[in-house]
Amino acid sequence: MAQIVLKDLVKKFGWITAVAGVNLRIHDGEFLIMVGPSGCGKTTTLNMISGLETPTSGEVVIGDTVVNDVDPGERGLGMVFQDLALFPHMTVFENIAFGLRVKRVAEEETRRRVRQVADVMRIGPLLEKRPSQCSGGEAQRVALARTIITNPAVFLMDEPLSSLDAKLRVDMRTELKHLHERLQATFVYVTHDQAEAMTMADRIVVMRGGHIQQVGEPLEIYRRPANQFVAGFFGTPTMNFLRGAVAKEGGRPLFRAQSLAQPLPAGSPLTGGGGEVVLGVRAEHVLVGEGSKRGQVTLTEPLGDETLVFFDFGGEAPLVAKVNPEMHLAPGDRIAFEFEESGFHLFDAATGERLN
Amino acid sequence: MAGPAPARARSSFARRHHLFWYFRHAVLLAWSGFVLFPIFWMVLTSFKDAAEWVTWPPHWIPHDPTLHNYRQIFTFSQLGQDLTRQATEQVFNIWGALMDSLLICTVSSFVSLLLGTFLAYSVSRFGVGGKNFRYLILTIRMVPPIVVAIPILMYYAIMIPHTTEVLTGVRVSFYDTYSGLGLLYVATTLPFVIWMMLSFIDEVPYTLEHAARMMGAGRIHTLRRVVVPLVASGMVVTFLFIFILNWSEFLLALTLTHPNVTTLPVLLNKFQSAVEGRLYGPQAAIGTVITIPVVVLGILIQKHLVKGFSFGMIRK
Repeated sequence: MAQIVLKDLVKKFGWITAVAGVNLRIHDGEFLIMVGPSGCGKTTTLNMISGLETPTSGEVVIGDTVVNDVDPGERGLGMVFQDLALFPHMTVFENIAFGLRVKRVAEEETRRRVRQVADVMRIGPLLEKRPSQCSGGEAQRVALARTIITNPAVFLMDEPLSSLDAKLRVDMRTELKHLHERLQATFVYVTHDQAEAMTMADRIVVMRGGHIQQVGEPLEIYRRPANQFVAGFFGTPTMNFLRGAVAKEGGRPLFRAQSLAQPLPAGSPLTGGGGEVVLGVRAEHVLVGEGSKRGQVTLTEPLGDETLVFFDFGGEAPLVAKVNPEMHLAPGDRIAFEFEESGFHLFDAATGERLN
Repeated sequence: MAGPAPARARSSFARRHHLFWYFRHAVLLAWSGFVLFPIFWMVLTSFKDAAEWVTWPPHWIPHDPTLHNYRQIFTFSQLGQDLTRQATEQVFNIWGALMDSLLICTVSSFVSLLLGTFLAYSVSRFGVGGKNFRYLILTIRMVPPIVVAIPILMYYAIMIPHTTEVLTGVRVSFYDTYSGLGLLYVATTLPFVIWMMLSFIDEVPYTLEHAARMMGAGRIHTLRRVVVPLVASGMVVTFLFIFILNWSEFLLALTLTHPNVTTLPVLLNKFQSAVEGRLYGPQAAIGTVITIPVVVLGILIQKHLVKGFSFGMIRK
């Protein structure tokens, strides 16, 4: 069993609190991704699981054992680092064999297992090379091979793809997902890239300022973000946010912001006493070319399969919409637009919490 | 007429640049001549016969070149028949001092390197001593050796023997012993070792050690297999550097030893005492002999010294 439980985990560095009370249950065989902006405490949390950092308070439980006082090497984990941490003075073979040699596995057995793992990771021809002679993707696979060879029940990964170029990163995502399916091990993966989290994770943990903001499956987080921060963090382009108030007019809740008046679905929460809400709408829920609202195009970004259109509608910031690339729009064009009602997210303007 | 003007400007600039080049090299040449002249004179004197040591006008080239001075310092007999002309009551060869110097310098450099490397590791990885410790380390070198030489003489020759005699009944003295001088050499070179090794250890990413630990390697195993191989060349450079420092150290050795322990710089000085007369020839020969290893080592480690002394600010 490689279930990991974090109980009220806190880590302070001097007067700075990096992790402020994290409670989390990581299931056996799960691909869990911790995501958040830099300094949100995700790497510190990972390091406390690995044992490289000692928690200020709280417990890390792996299986049925509290491992707070267990050495990193005794926890049965494998870790891939951001800079890969391949030993530059050793060959690829020696790098991969390191863990086995520490455990004093017989030389014959070591050679056999290194070859086997090297074949699986397609790095057989590299075994006699130094890490500095490997390309980015090859070094990545060497680092993975070095971790896989000791058969850990849990893989910890600290932004392992951040040093790769964009194309290779996308390829490696697929490879990691395959690897997870084949090994059936628990993966705990840290990244600041929401796209990486969306594409690979079984579940995502969104962190900010040492706190967990939301835990959920990728689509759940995308469709029902728990607060404005999560809503803004996931999705490209960033969700449109409109600040305004909701009042009941003509029997229906009506959202008003500057020049805009938008009826909301029945049952939407109302604001009273001068309170404000933020209405969030994703770009794909802004329908251009229909409806009664009017705007003027300021910028277009063709992406090939779709085009992003930025337009002014009389509010503080321009709105962005995803449109069919066949729709030819140029800056200055006047357009009609409408919102898709199912795509409304309402957040408290003061706390950022989800309201609907 | 607008065309040629810039060309003329450029050529005059180039000419000025050229002049500056000559000027700079002339200054540098003159300066090296000034700095290197004593060494030139020393090497020359080592090949001169006694009659030529002090002459006026000076003999720029030995009129009668001889290896006599070298034969004298490398002799195995105490008062060779052929050396009677310059014989004194003192032992004339350098073998004893050479062995003393080699022994003290090698052992104390090794001890200093070992201690300093561990210290530098703890400063680099665990922040031992606080944030500014690494900059404070060298302040110990700001104290002129002469300031501490006499107090240490008192300490070695009076306080320690007296205290041990009172406490245990055995008189233990560090004065004029290998360990006494060696200990001081360790103390004086330790700051350099910490300083230089810090820059080498800082360049080894901590994640390498984390990776090793995650794979189950203990601290010692990690140090032996990961850290030491990566800073080994730095350790060699550091060793050579402090070895040179110890090799040429004079003041502490002069103050704290005699007659049992004699290092080469001290022996060199003895040839100038009133009793023995001024034997410039053998003195120059010894000077030449003890300079050679320093120059060779200096050339060997020159490139690395820059790296070691720049707090690791020069990166690949």
